[in-house]
Amino acid sequence: MLEAQSFRRALDDAGLAKSDIEGLASAGYGGMHEVMLAEYLGLTPRWLESSSVGGSSFEFHTMHAYRAIQNGDVDTVAIVYGNNQLSASGRTLGTGGGGGGRAGMQMPLPMAYEFPSGLTLVGAYATAARRHMHQFGTTPEQLASISVQTREHAARNPSAMYRDPITVDDVLASKLVADPLHKLDCCVISDGGCAIILTTEDRARDLAHRPVYVRGAAGGTTHHSIAAMADMTRTAAAVSGPKAFQEAGISPGDVDMFAMYDSFTYTVLVVLEDLGFAPKGEGGRFVTDNGGNLRLGGALPTNTDGGGLSATHPGMRGLFLICEATRQLRGEAGDSQVEGAEIAVAHGSGGWLSTQGTVVLGTEAA
Amino acid sequence: MSFLAHNGVSWEESPKYLWPRPNDEDREFWEGARRGELRIQHCTTCGKHQHYPRFLCSHCGADTLEWITASGLATVYSFTVIRQNGVPPFSERLPFVVAVVDLDEEGARMIGAMPTVAPEDTRIGMRVRAAFRPANDESAYVDFAAAD
Repeated sequence: MLEAQSFRRALDDAGLAKSDIEGLASAGYGGMHEVMLAEYLGLTPRWLESSSVGGSSFEFHTMHAYRAIQNGDVDTVAIVYGNNQLSASGRTLGTGGGGGGRAGMQMPLPMAYEFPSGLTLVGAYATAARRHMHQFGTTPEQLASISVQTREHAARNPSAMYRDPITVDDVLASKLVADPLHKLDCCVISDGGCAIILTTEDRARDLAHRPVYVRGAAGGTTHHSIAAMADMTRTAAAVSGPKAFQEAGISPGDVDMFAMYDSFTYTVLVVLEDLGFAPKGEGGRFVTDNGGNLRLGGALPTNTDGGGLSATHPGMRGLFLICEATRQLRGEAGDSQVEGAEIAVAHGSGGWLSTQGTVVLGTEAA
Repeated sequence: MSFLAHNGVSWEESPKYLWPRPNDEDREFWEGARRGELRIQHCTTCGKHQHYPRFLCSHCGADTLEWITASGLATVYSFTVIRQNGVPPFSERLPFVVAVVDLDEEGARMIGAMPTVAPEDTRIGMRVRAAFRPANDESAYVDFAAAD
């Protein structure tokens, strides 16, 4: 069980016992998921959190756990996720039918109005990407560059699923899944598990590693289904980002590395703009400037573990972002280490660009 | 109207799992579509429109909604070409266009397939018109076709 494996490893990493865990947060694809997990792990937590807002759920969990710890409601919380999606279901989801209805599936609002069109999950993101291209002249090559730079990082990560270098031409030559998104514009389907532990500053000082601090967090939503996304070139990250940055006392220029939910190349591009790393409409130029700003050595090393595009994407990726940002700030990122990294941002995007959660982490408290 | 048929599968075939299940809130929309009318809600407080049907106005929050028959005319806000979809019957229809359109009635946006428009002929900003595709005897889906 991937969640239990991850939980066990996180306890060992922190130097904590199971009995130290007072709160549990998790999200899966069914109700009461975190309660089921608590039972499996043999926990009887007095603080539970199960925000289930898609891939960004874990940024929301982190934000809520941070507030609860600040408020004194709970001292030590584990946030856990695992999914053996690839082993269990194979790549059938990879047909893109995930958002487009499956035989026997119920059709709750608002999907009853979307499923009959045959739109897929990839298609929803493709629609938004197309709008950005139309408004700002963003090109397929610029989107592809995100995938290429991410693969360079995956090549340095022995745990990444795909590690062979790719070029922009490779991305553009890969099968179009839903125009303008190609197969290599899409994240992988993998198994995976992840767990992090949050505790008070006092407690953290005595644990096995130098702590990494949450400095700010915020989240928000603009829509559920893609048809209700009023402006497909702007996400709720335009609100969550500035709010989290303000709490953290930082500006975009202070960020040393970026762990971004790369469900699709477009997700990265639009959120880079929304968080203020690039002016609106100039995300395409930003990612390709300077030989590739997302590379190690670029202005904003992004997804240094190889991201969802190349390393791992087990259904939801939000927690892996916080884990990679933490590795970087602890100086444990190996061949992908951003030298001297002091501020990292983990940003989750869930649903159909629907929910956005920003977490600012630092080597020092805010 | 003639549908672009791919691999011999017509858009007119609607599997039962895709049938709408109308309720008191949205029956007017589905049954209107079956009659060939695009029924949407108009808010008499703020003057805006909305789709899909709701109890209150998603723009201003008032519950002063009335049903109107929309012109069916709309402008493509964005679109994609679905080239991969493993779910029947869509898997047999590939490729096909799905568009997000802004209705001429302010505030109402819809998503729909454009089975009669070829991918290479689809543009953001193109004018389209609602087309109705029966799901069963009671309901129909709303697709979009080129306006002229």
